[in-house]
Amino acid sequence: MSTDSDTTDADSTEAESGASMTRRDLVKAVGSVGLLGAASSATAEVDTEDLWTDVEHYVGDDYGEYGASDVVHTTCGQCNTFCPIKVRLADESATGEYSSLVRKLAGNPYSFLNTQPFSQVPYDSDPETAAMGDVEGSGDVDAERWSLSGGRICLKGQAGIQTAFDSYRVRKPMKRVGPRGSGEWKTVSWEQAIRDIVDGDDELGHPGLRDLWAYAPEEAVMEDWEAVQSGEMAKSTFDERWADTLIDTDHPDLGPKANQIVDVGGFRRNFIRTRLWHQGLGSINSVHHAGTCGFSSVMGNVRSHAGKKKRQYPDVENCEYLLVWGTNPMVANKGPTWLAPKLTNAIEDGMRMDVVDPRLSKTAEKADTWVPVEPGADGALALGMARWIIEHDRHDVEYLRNPAESAAETDGEPTWSDATHLVLVDEADGPKARAADLGLVDEDHDLADDFVAVDSATGEPRPASEVETGLLNASLTVGGTAVESAWSLYRDRVFEHTVEEYAEMAGVGSDVIAEIADEFTSHGKRAAIMAYRGPAKHANGFYNTRAIATLQHLIGNYDWKGGQITPYAGYSTMSGRYELGQVPDGHSPWGIPLLRGGVNYEDTTLFERDDGYPAERPWFPVAPPQATQELYGSAKDEYPYGVEALFIRPYSNNHVMAVAGGDQIPSILGDPDTIPLVVASDTVIGETSKYADYILPEPTYLERWENFGTYPNKRLADEKLSQPAVEVVPDARPFEDVLIDLWKELDLPGVGGDAIPDADGELWPLHQAEDFYLKLAANIAFDRDPVPDASEDELQVFRESHEKGLGDSFDLGRWKQAVRDEEWAKVVTVLNRGGRFEEPVDDYADRFAEHGHEYDYADRFDDSNAYDGEQMRYKLGSRVDFYSEVVPKGKHSYTGARFDPLPRVDDVEHYGGEVQASVTHDADTERPLRLINWKPRTQGMHRTTNSPWLRETRPENPLWINPRDADERGLENGDEIVIDAGRNSVEGIAMVTNGIRPGVVGAMWGWGRSGDGAVAETIDGETRGPVEEDGHTPYQFDEPMTDEAGLAKGRDAGFAINHLQPLDEALGDTGLSDLVGGSNAQYDAFVEVERK
Amino acid sequence: MDDTTACETEPAAADREPEDGDAAAARARADVYALLAAAFDGDIELLAAALGDGTLADLAGQLPVDVDGKVLERPDLDAQALRIGYDNLFVVPGPHYVPPFASAWADEPSESFESDSQYHDAGQAGELMGDPAAAASQSHGTAGFDPERGDGIPDHLAADLEFMRALCEREATHLAGGGDATDELATVREYQRITVGRLGWLDEFHEAVEEKDTVEGIFAALARLARTFVAWDARHGIATP
Repeated sequence: MSTDSDTTDADSTEAESGASMTRRDLVKAVGSVGLLGAASSATAEVDTEDLWTDVEHYVGDDYGEYGASDVVHTTCGQCNTFCPIKVRLADESATGEYSSLVRKLAGNPYSFLNTQPFSQVPYDSDPETAAMGDVEGSGDVDAERWSLSGGRICLKGQAGIQTAFDSYRVRKPMKRVGPRGSGEWKTVSWEQAIRDIVDGDDELGHPGLRDLWAYAPEEAVMEDWEAVQSGEMAKSTFDERWADTLIDTDHPDLGPKANQIVDVGGFRRNFIRTRLWHQGLGSINSVHHAGTCGFSSVMGNVRSHAGKKKRQYPDVENCEYLLVWGTNPMVANKGPTWLAPKLTNAIEDGMRMDVVDPRLSKTAEKADTWVPVEPGADGALALGMARWIIEHDRHDVEYLRNPAESAAETDGEPTWSDATHLVLVDEADGPKARAADLGLVDEDHDLADDFVAVDSATGEPRPASEVETGLLNASLTVGGTAVESAWSLYRDRVFEHTVEEYAEMAGVGSDVIAEIADEFTSHGKRAAIMAYRGPAKHANGFYNTRAIATLQHLIGNYDWKGGQITPYAGYSTMSGRYELGQVPDGHSPWGIPLLRGGVNYEDTTLFERDDGYPAERPWFPVAPPQATQELYGSAKDEYPYGVEALFIRPYSNNHVMAVAGGDQIPSILGDPDTIPLVVASDTVIGETSKYADYILPEPTYLERWENFGTYPNKRLADEKLSQPAVEVVPDARPFEDVLIDLWKELDLPGVGGDAIPDADGELWPLHQAEDFYLKLAANIAFDRDPVPDASEDELQVFRESHEKGLGDSFDLGRWKQAVRDEEWAKVVTVLNRGGRFEEPVDDYADRFAEHGHEYDYADRFDDSNAYDGEQMRYKLGSRVDFYSEVVPKGKHSYTGARFDPLPRVDDVEHYGGEVQASVTHDADTERPLRLINWKPRTQGMHRTTNSPWLRETRPENPLWINPRDADERGLENGDEIVIDAGRNSVEGIAMVTNGIRPGVVGAMWGWGRSGDGAVAETIDGETRGPVEEDGHTPYQFDEPMTDEAGLAKGRDAGFAINHLQPLDEALGDTGLSDLVGGSNAQYDAFVEVERK
Repeated sequence: MDDTTACETEPAAADREPEDGDAAAARARADVYALLAAAFDGDIELLAAALGDGTLADLAGQLPVDVDGKVLERPDLDAQALRIGYDNLFVVPGPHYVPPFASAWADEPSESFESDSQYHDAGQAGELMGDPAAAASQSHGTAGFDPERGDGIPDHLAADLEFMRALCEREATHLAGGGDATDELATVREYQRITVGRLGWLDEFHEAVEEKDTVEGIFAALARLARTFVAWDARHGIATP
């Protein structure tokens, strides 16, 4: 049959087409039956013009054309996802100090991240063509309603315009008037600010860096110290020689006085920490945000994987089963912009996703099964799954029996485990046996340091790399030395409790444990786990993470398509053309870090001084010194030493808001006797920076340089490079530039002339940030196959876009001086694209032109840059550890007990051992409701709550409470409530929802601000009030789950979740810490709630 | 009978029946399309009623369709049984599945809608939301029509049958109104021609349903009814310009 009335069909017959029936017949036939009830209500409103002109609907034709000269590609800084973005500069600007307005922020079309679920435009695409949306294959706005001229960006990213153009920005260097925290400031010149910080100031009575700084080399000091110990040198001689440069000559291991000058920053760490702080100043104390972030999760992975890079993500595109654990990738975790479409598509393609979270998050909403685990009991859930898996023989025994790389390679496995490795169980710190330890080879043999496994073929212990198949369950004595396999120890640990007991601890049904364990082990290597802060931000977070990581070991899914991926692939930044990490004649930082990470208390002179245990404050012997929550209390207690000068960059480290118990910080920061000099480099007067002596105006992320070597869920290599796109506050200076000035004044190495060596050993100057970051761009450009040179047209576009964005502050000649002439055209190629982004396949431009952007090249082609057959191209490629021999080298600094090498179920404890939240047994708490918190869907960080666009979407942070708990308290949705955490009470609004586990309440963090325009500020005698409500429909009221209003409340709206956290009972000035992983505990508070 | 004989071939415009007859014919065509759209949209209550009270059997009896009238007169089948039959044939991609949308029957894979699904072989037709869906969506959009039937799939048989119902109703309204809307009438009829022109895949579809629906045969009979009626409408129902 053909229904085309213009053609004939040989197969059609008159009978089939009903030719014998006329229309009148039809009327009669239809009239005899009652059919009208079948009609729907849809109507066709035919526009007679459209049919003939063939103009499609849904296509706006009122769009403005713009070109590459209107665009700067850089990196978003609204949250720590750091999306590659495109800044569309405004064509016209009103009057103001700024160089250009921003018309719109969008995703960078060159990046494979922000173009998901599509494919990026080829890297070689001409920027003009890309900006116009004219790259062949990228779609056509006229014909297809959409084109790939811009990538995706979230609402937080779009609101970045309001971060840069915030009227509460710090505009000049400011010096406090009155006591710290008075809220009153006066502006000073940059020259005066630099002079005061270097030389001290009588008006405020603070010392200067010139007096505070001193450095002594470790080798010379320790040589003398050994002489003192052996009696070869008099202590008085030692004191006289080193008193001016050491913190304490009685405890030289504290290091030089430079260590008392502390940097709290976060990002730009390659420049500020590596070059300026460590090697320029010689201070070991440059601290980032880890302790307040997912530190214990990171460390749990570090101790579970021997590879260089350890954090684990799933290969979403090919995963058949994804277990999301305590994270919310639709909203957070680097990052929603690409994860949301990837996950959604994967689910549509048949992937099952289960989510473990006490709260029904946006990700849990999309899950097949929501597992509302008891907060902090994740370890029990994971070990329960492990028990079910082992009992049902669902672990990959073949994988686990590979004792080394050689056996794994034979087996086609990119990784192998320590399951068969023997542990010296009678030694106190339980190290794994090495071949020479057991007399299998001589001490000088090549395999002396090899691990040992029992060869299943012979039953004899042998160097692991010589064993093809190892014995899993091994417990024996070798030459009088007792050894046991890591698997045997792990299995014993797992079998300490039944599945039912684990289920009881985790607060979930044993059938749920069985179901997700069954599902996790039903897809071969195509099952994966994505876990982050939920299990980790507890005082037991490290062990929780370890328990989860070892589930992955059980199926050996690392580096397999659809399994775990280790997504660190990037391009060289710090070396190549220029050795940016090298400082000629630089200092070597040394001494005990202020935050006591990576150092055994027992190995220091303080152990003897303080009579051993308990140590005054916690030590973190097996974690890096980044437990930032300890910084302020340590400064107050001068433990292990005092802080003389503190430099803070609260844009990304606003500790008063971000630390559990951060409400205790102001009283410490506010006392000049505790920390004599506090300098903040900030974009606004924030909760932490308002206690500084000086606030120096910092550019926002749209106005400065930065480089992010990030680790999102990605299959390909990329390197993002931020560059200034606009200048909003003319007097703002990047902190790097300020430090360069300070270091020059102090005559410190690493800045000024002859500061940066290139590959040939020639030295280059460092006078401003461009001198560093443009060299970094050159390193990126020349790594692997160098990028192509920018054409003459591209060079012209680069000049025009930067002149448009930066105005007079853009000095092309000065920028070009930072690199060699022959490098410049490649540097421009990288800058014009906001970094470097690997293409999914070779000959990508041709294939893109043929197949377009709606095509998964990485999956479809054999020469994929993402996959190597059935495995990932970028691999972990290492051993994975059930048993960590590093962990038990550390001891608890309160009790002296060794940390556990295995995953375990642990209670949440204070430093002194008091139980805050029990996992192992039922325990009554003073208040009944466990308080958790999460990142808001519509806010990136505390630093984004200044945006009225974002506050309109969620005016404050209501407290989620289950109807069962609400009913018991007579609460209804929208009620004004008081949340009592014992030491603090706050007011809030109840949001009654079944989306949270009974007995648990929670809210978004980022609210309840007392800085950044939330309170009045007085500058040069003029007082500016706090930001008031703002919005479009003020007649609406905010009722959770029903609000449709666009009313942004003030910047002080809501309550500060971290100010409800319990203080550590032994310390009293900060929240609880995980001593193994280093995290600040942020989900362990208990509260009571009542109607206001 | 005389009328039937006289109208075996479509008369020239000048010789056609009076306008009110044209309006009635358009209305009748709309009714048939409405019933077929409901049936292929899984409107089971209505389908059960039409099977139960003989509506469908009567209609088939009037049309020269080689269908056993008893198949379409089934008061014994309840809605649940029909629902299961419908789901197995047209909803659940299982052993009895016959996709009820045009993209699945396209001869060539679409360029722009190629699926990334791991369950779909690259370079083969048999897609969801392929080029036919884009064409149907564009056609619906330009006509100001928003389908309620078809489960959000623009090239779903139910969606296009519903579109035809709306277009025939529009035609009937114009003819009954007697106003000066010649341009729009021509446009509506052009849309009708384009729409039935997109339903060429009904041949294969009907054969596939017949292969799967071998026991009860209700949906096979409905597919045959739809195929025949659409073919008749293309040749004799839609007025030629």
